[in-house]
Amino acid sequence: MEKRRKSKGDNLVLRYLVLGSWALFCLVPILWFLSIGFRPRTEIITPEPIYWPTFSLDAWRLLLADWPIFDYLRNSVVAVAGSVVIDLILGIPAAYSLTRYEYRGRDDIGFYILSTRMMAPAIVAIPIFFLFRNMGLLDSVWALMLIYAAVNLSIVVWIIRSYMLDIPKELEDAARTDGAGDLRILWEVIIPACLPGIITASVIAAIFAINEFLFTLLIASTKSAYTMSVALANFTGGSDGVIYNAIALVSFLAFLPILVLIVLIQKHLSRGLTMGAVKG
Amino acid sequence: MAVLDQTGGVARAAPDRARPREKALRRRSPALRRAFPYLLVAPAVIYLLGITLYPGAYAIYQSFYLVRFTEWIPVGFDNYVELWSDSEFWQALLNTLIIGGIALTLECVIAMALAFFAYRDALIRGWRIVFLMPMLFMPSAVAFIWKLAFNDGRVISDLLRKIGLIDGNLDFLGNVWLARSTLIVADVWQWTPFLFIIFVAALQSQDQEVEEAARLDGASWPAIFWNVSLPMIRPVIAVAVVLRGIDITTMFTNVFILTKGTPGGTTETISYFIYRQGFQTFNFGYASAAAVVMLVVTILAAQLVVKRAFRSGKA
Repeated sequence: MEKRRKSKGDNLVLRYLVLGSWALFCLVPILWFLSIGFRPRTEIITPEPIYWPTFSLDAWRLLLADWPIFDYLRNSVVAVAGSVVIDLILGIPAAYSLTRYEYRGRDDIGFYILSTRMMAPAIVAIPIFFLFRNMGLLDSVWALMLIYAAVNLSIVVWIIRSYMLDIPKELEDAARTDGAGDLRILWEVIIPACLPGIITASVIAAIFAINEFLFTLLIASTKSAYTMSVALANFTGGSDGVIYNAIALVSFLAFLPILVLIVLIQKHLSRGLTMGAVKG
Repeated sequence: MAVLDQTGGVARAAPDRARPREKALRRRSPALRRAFPYLLVAPAVIYLLGITLYPGAYAIYQSFYLVRFTEWIPVGFDNYVELWSDSEFWQALLNTLIIGGIALTLECVIAMALAFFAYRDALIRGWRIVFLMPMLFMPSAVAFIWKLAFNDGRVISDLLRKIGLIDGNLDFLGNVWLARSTLIVADVWQWTPFLFIIFVAALQSQDQEVEEAARLDGASWPAIFWNVSLPMIRPVIAVAVVLRGIDITTMFTNVFILTKGTPGGTTETISYFIYRQGFQTFNFGYASAAAVVMLVVTILAAQLVVKRAFRSGKA
């Protein structure tokens, strides 16, 4: 039996050589960048790179003293969490409508929602900028919340839709014979049954919102709206150039929660990333 | 901004008032029942029209004006005529295709090769998170990692010198292809995991018996992979590549942080071109004209490519 399991062209040495090298290529820049966060500024930009630096907590002190890091953190959390809530409030009924009803134009509406995922931020950046300026929402977390929600709504609808399609019709029919109406079925049957999909959609929307750069760059201009993602680009010390150790630290502050979230939804990740196209 | 204010009117009523509302609904006219699914989907659609239809119309309108601070001077099609003969615009378009095309090809090939080796391996399954890590960094952070490695910290030059490939330092911002390669490396490093995880999931969820049958016929693994496994997951590959392709053609963050378009505009992408025209030279009408061109391309691509990819992905 063992002999049959291994077949031609199955070279274990080659396999682990290839996978191992790529794993190293993934990890080494991350570990090296982590080391940047814990070295003094004088050992970052040097004529010859220093591979074994002295340990230093300079960056922490710098961050806490010179940069409003807690403001950036708060802005990110408020804007991202708010946008996910908006997405769920709008997205769950929309996904329900797209999966559980037959009506004219349904597929076109579904495709329209999907197609907004392809809109390049740069195309709408100028009108959105003027729109928020006219509303007096420039440099405001609320504007970021609204725009993140808009950017991710298509993803949320399509992921939840994919999970709702998997719910057997009988579950719904049973509730209906008990006299439950459409909205009660959505709330008491459908939402609990597709909770993994809702969580996956929320996590992926949250990560994309944390990462968002162009809109944030245009809307935010002071610490009252800077998020972690864009604040990085402002870690410059005038003539001293870019402050890499602070950037490295903030990168890891954002990286750790994302890592935790991804580990939590690991099984659903590929399904979420393809907006439901892979049932893996 | 009436558009955004109307959000969730229907949806928010859903949780606590579900029961009485529903009863009322049932007693009411069949017309309301027929409208019900539209009411459920309407808030989301209205919200999305707010960031697509409204800005699209605004950009088209603005593209016929010369905008100087608060003054709008109508200029007809001048912006489009100027765009047509603007070598910087064509350069940006070309750069986007070159950089995006190379990066996307590399990502597909590498992700496919890695997936080939990984998908039947239980050991790798437990370590999958290692392969995902680059994707979990904020793109702006990734841009700084490579900015330090290539430019400011000269680490890549130093490593290449140590293994004897070059003398002295490479100026990654001074040479067209070196500058482009920094953008390509940053994108490949961060986003190959995206394709990798999707390919692996698709390969693992397919029917194993077909592969098993081919193997019993004595086919080698590379042959099975190429002739049996890959064709079976083609719809998923299409969806993944389309999604990655969309993101790659809108590349902005890496250009903004790593190269700013240097040297001589040879790394400027179309997104960065629009940003620069709009928010650095404040030539909003001109930038809008470029945005409209990009919008038309996007709509065409959506109809031709994306619709097909997702339709077949569903089937």
